Amino acid sequence: MLEISGIDVFRGETQVLWEVSLKVRPGERVAILGSNGAGKSSLLAAITGTLPPQRGTITFKGAPLAGLKPYQITQLGVALVPEGRRVYRDMTASENLEMGAYPRRGRSQLHRTMEQVLRIFPVLDERKHQVAGTLSGGEQQMLAIGRALMSRPELLLIDELSLGLAPVITKEIYRALAGLVEETTILLVEQNVEQALHHSQRAYILESGRMTRNGPSAELMADDDIRRAYLGL
Amino acid sequence: MFALAGMNGLVIGAIYALAALGVSLVVGIMNVINFAHGELYILAGYFSYLFANAFGMNFALAMTLAVALVFLFGLLIEYTLIRPTYGNDMYSLILTFILSIVLQNAYLLIFGPYPNKPPNWVGGSTLILGSFYYGNQRLAALIAGSAVITLVFLVIKKTWFGRIIRATSQDREMAELNGVNTKRLNMLSFGLGCALAAAAGVILAPIFPVTPTAGVPVALTAFVVVVLGGMGSLWGCVIGGLIIGLVENFGAAYISTAYKQVFSFIILILVLLSRPSGLFGRREA
Ligand SMILES: Nc1ncnc2c1ncn2[C@@H]1O[C@H](COP(=O)(O)OP(=O)(O)O)[C@@H](O)[C@H]1O
Ligand SMILES: [Mg+2]
Repeated sequence: MLEISGIDVFRGETQVLWEVSLKVRPGERVAILGSNGAGKSSLLAAITGTLPPQRGTITFKGAPLAGLKPYQITQLGVALVPEGRRVYRDMTASENLEMGAYPRRGRSQLHRTMEQVLRIFPVLDERKHQVAGTLSGGEQQMLAIGRALMSRPELLLIDELSLGLAPVITKEIYRALAGLVEETTILLVEQNVEQALHHSQRAYILESGRMTRNGPSAELMADDDIRRAYLGL
Repeated sequence: MFALAGMNGLVIGAIYALAALGVSLVVGIMNVINFAHGELYILAGYFSYLFANAFGMNFALAMTLAVALVFLFGLLIEYTLIRPTYGNDMYSLILTFILSIVLQNAYLLIFGPYPNKPPNWVGGSTLILGSFYYGNQRLAALIAGSAVITLVFLVIKKTWFGRIIRATSQDREMAELNGVNTKRLNMLSFGLGCALAAAAGVILAPIFPVTPTAGVPVALTAFVVVVLGGMGSLWGCVIGGLIIGLVENFGAAYISTAYKQVFSFIILILVLLSRPSGLFGRREA
């Protein structure tokens, strides 16, 4: 589904990723772990076209993404739930969801998808007409995920799902994600390593811009080095 | 006299609101201030004068054509002058300032320094509230101005185009991730901003005939209105435009016509002292 091989990514003059490679198969849930500043968000930005890599290739469903703008990549079926949620604060919850359906692939089925999203996150149905800036952090995160789902993506990228959320809310959102249809592939970025390993089949570990390890999540969870470094055990 | 000044204030206020909406749209989306806004307003006035008086077109057709041409000119300006300067707001300021000077001199060369006036749409006058007669042309201008403002609001609130405009002015990168071709949207909204200036121009030109530099005070007032109303607020443009229009006319009627511009600046300073981000501006902005 997604294949990244040997990409170097820069932010301005500064290199933030070195020869990063990664592969996600259809229907998989894959996690990217790493401490603050490791380059996780930059990696997602490379996939969405916001930070095109200087070297290496990214292919999605077999087609290279090089030269495509973010709005074109969205159209291919990639959707991002950005770090910090970035809902449109002055627009209502339902307008936020509608914006998610702006790409052609989402617009024709807007009403059907909207119903599905509101079924996944019933609280958004209650808040439909409320301005997004007035929603709680958890509701905004659900809104950001809902907005991404509105384009009917095949690959869903989620950056820091649990950041700033109460554990019960996080759990609720993960449960909702687990109920998503099979065909939605998920690439999950988390600092909350335990949660991420719990909700993924495979994981990659990013350290200072380089991939250092990867493997099945269950295996990584049992690994002593990882437990010491990331789980504080 | 009170009611007459009030009516005049509403007419000119609606025009200021329209011109300010054009500025606000472009600032909100692109963070660019178009210094030639007033010259595009005048250009539309000249076009409607030219088409109606010299080519004998029907006034409504002449106005529509004038606005459409200024819209296309706006697209061209964005493509040639603004697009290469993204990321450096200073350059676009300087370039549009130069454009305004060039246009003023071109108008002087082509049309001369004397006022040119497109034909009135309607003649005669109407008795208002049983107390005074008011020119029908001015009433028609008020109605036309309000109609265009209403149309702008409908487009912004109800259409996909309006939705992506609001989303892009709030978070440009996110809007691009939601599938908005923001480069194309820049071009369109710049053209639309110019078209709003043009709409103001064609509506007001039969009342205040156009001269090469008559756009300068209108553009300045539009900038004042945008700041007064609060950057990025559409309601701010409308309320701010009406306030400035009324204040100018009451000031002129009761104090002196010589200080017309001064009154609006005094209002601006008073408002900013108590509300630094304008009447309807977001506090953190
Ligand atoms: N907007 C930015 N401009 C410049 N540098 C940035 C920006 N965002 C992040 N960085 C830098 O890029 C590196 C990678 O950051 P990021 O991808 O955000 O990491 P993570 O998401 O893993 O916390 C860090 O060194 C960070 O300081
Ligand atoms: Mg990050």
